Amino acid sequence: MKIQVLFGTESGNAEMAAEDLALSVRSDDQEVEVHDLSDFSISELQHDALYVFICSTYGEGDLPNTALPFFADLNIVRPDLAWVRYAIFGLGDTFYSETYSQGATKLADKLNELGAERVGEFGRYDASSWEPVGEKAVEWFSGVLEAAAQMQ
Amino acid sequence: MDSVVSIAIVGSGPAGCYVAQSLRRALPESEITIYDRLASPFGLVRYGVAPDHQSTKSIQAQFARLFERENVRFAGNITVGSDVSLDELRSTHNIVVLASGLSEDRVVGVPGEDLPEVHRAGRLTRVFNAHPMEPVGVPDFGGAVAVIGGGNVSIDVLRLLIKRPEDFANSDVDDTALGQYAQAPVRRVEFICRSTVANAPSDPVMLAELGRIPGVAFTCSDPVAVPEDATRQASARAKALEGLLELAPGPQTRVQVALHFGWSPVRILGADHVEGVELRSVEDDREHRRVATDSVVTAVGFDFDRHNWHGLGELSRNLETGALDRGLYRTGWIKRGSRGTIAENRACAKAVAEEILADLPALDPAPRPGYDGLPEDVRARAVDYAAWRRVDLAEASAAAHGRARKKFPSHDHMVAIAHDTLAGPSGAGNH
Ligand SMILES: Cc1cc2nc3c(=O)[nH]c(=O)nc-3n(C[C@H](O)[C@H](O)[C@H](O)COP(=O)(O)OP(=O)(O)OC[C@H]3O[C@@H](n4cnc5c(N)ncnc54)[C@H](O)[C@@H]3O)c2cc1C
Ligand SMILES: Cc1cc2nc3c(=O)[nH]c(=O)nc-3n(C[C@H](O)[C@H](O)[C@H](O)COP(=O)(O)O)c2cc1C
Repeated sequence: MKIQVLFGTESGNAEMAAEDLALSVRSDDQEVEVHDLSDFSISELQHDALYVFICSTYGEGDLPNTALPFFADLNIVRPDLAWVRYAIFGLGDTFYSETYSQGATKLADKLNELGAERVGEFGRYDASSWEPVGEKAVEWFSGVLEAAAQMQ
Repeated sequence: MDSVVSIAIVGSGPAGCYVAQSLRRALPESEITIYDRLASPFGLVRYGVAPDHQSTKSIQAQFARLFERENVRFAGNITVGSDVSLDELRSTHNIVVLASGLSEDRVVGVPGEDLPEVHRAGRLTRVFNAHPMEPVGVPDFGGAVAVIGGGNVSIDVLRLLIKRPEDFANSDVDDTALGQYAQAPVRRVEFICRSTVANAPSDPVMLAELGRIPGVAFTCSDPVAVPEDATRQASARAKALEGLLELAPGPQTRVQVALHFGWSPVRILGADHVEGVELRSVEDDREHRRVATDSVVTAVGFDFDRHNWHGLGELSRNLETGALDRGLYRTGWIKRGSRGTIAENRACAKAVAEEILADLPALDPAPRPGYDGLPEDVRARAVDYAAWRRVDLAEASAAAHGRARKKFPSHDHMVAIAHDTLAGPSGAGNH
């Protein structure tokens, strides 16, 4: 099954994590695509893929502005996502204690509401930890792949 | 243009790093060099972002990849305009992108600004950040200071002034500066924001953060509540301010902060020395408000420094295009003015990179040598990324207990460590 990594970013960290994650799982047998949510339309969502959302938080716990059009489309078009399986990794900073990682939570809530099914743990990354975000994302994703394998 | 494109980027702050990222993706074969007058990369991420906001500085890990794995050259210790002229850079590279930021503190433009106790936020934040080109020394603020400006830099200044030394745990604050300031910290701050609470440019979370500093009593004689239909950010700001005003440190009070929203400075009072600031209400013609202070810090943005090193004259703030001339572009603060966060430079750089790519076919197709075309003596002084890493590691290992690192405040010292020419057997750590 193809892995589609979709990132939503403002300062580029989610993109870096997306690329690291893609690099870690791409092989001759595993197709991986990476897309910026700002260039990805909901009509491109396919059946035979695992979607991996990597998304930061801005404003008052909002999605990064590059991901807003995609999020708005989900709200307006309200596609039936009952066939979509996704994993999600949120980037945030516990400095923003009241809205920590809420952007990714909002996105996941919307996907769930439209019928999509989450695979694996909800990943969270805290910029205050100074840990390398790419490594954290890769580590998290290996757990997701295990969970996905168990579901099959 | 089919041959290898050579690209010079002037400035290694967010703007320069983001534009290098975009250009590297689009032109994997190109030769890209980021020049900086400092021996360290990352611009204001290192020297502007507050020393107690380490998580904001973690973006450096993203930018470091350019030099570590994406084949972008760092050439520090090269000042464009003196070590090498802009013309020289342009004749040796196909593309030159100015990403040199804005470092000159903007003046408020009111009478009294030349009084000796009027200080500038840019300078002050550079001092606390151990900037190697800022003459060291924290000014004496007296007992009361007015901070003019309502943006995030202004809040950074306020926070620096009201924190105790022990509140800087895990920061990389310059301890010399901190020690000097701790001799005579201010006891009262008048924080003056032109905008009302609803329209203020400050991040609510940064306001709320002030409430975690012990011993600070906040007051505000202006309305804090915002209209029902205010933006979510405005409501969050009002809520953060209400939280500050509820704090009552009582006898534990070390410092008082009087907040003014909707007041604009008319003049700085005092004949030979600062005695206060006179304020005018922005919304109505109420009687002027006068606050008595011993000093002033202005934090109202940054302008192009008028030393005019590039010979381009006054730069217009044209937001439509990054192009200045054939093969010459600008991005980041030098394009948009001193507004916006680190992240905003990413979108800006992407747009400028697209302009560059669109212009490429029309550029002079003759290959230019890039970095290798610069005179031998210029290349000899350059601090490359491996050399910077020596400084980086030396700083990290020189960190005192409770500090993320010890930033070396001397440019020459940094260059000596970088070039491994530090005199004496004692090595880098014992300066
Ligand atoms: C005090 C302060 C605090 C801030 N805090 C935050 C924050 O917490 N979060 C946030 O998101 N944003 C913050 N910002 C804003 C952020 O720093 C800017 O958006 C960003 O740095 C602008 O990027 P730039 O690359 O255009 O300029 P800069 O970061 O200033 O980079 C310019 C670089 O060019 C170099 N240079 C200049 N002239 C020459 C020359 N002649 N030759 C060679 N090199 C040259 C400089 O040495 C510097 O490295 C802060 C800004 C300030 C001033
Ligand atoms: C202006 C601003 C607002 C932010 N707001 C939040 C927030 O509300 N909650 C949170 O968890 N993180 C917040 N963050 C932290 C970012 O989500 C974090 O730095 C992340 O690593 C950015 O990832 P990106 O580079 O992919 O955009 C904020 C950062 C900035 C600069």
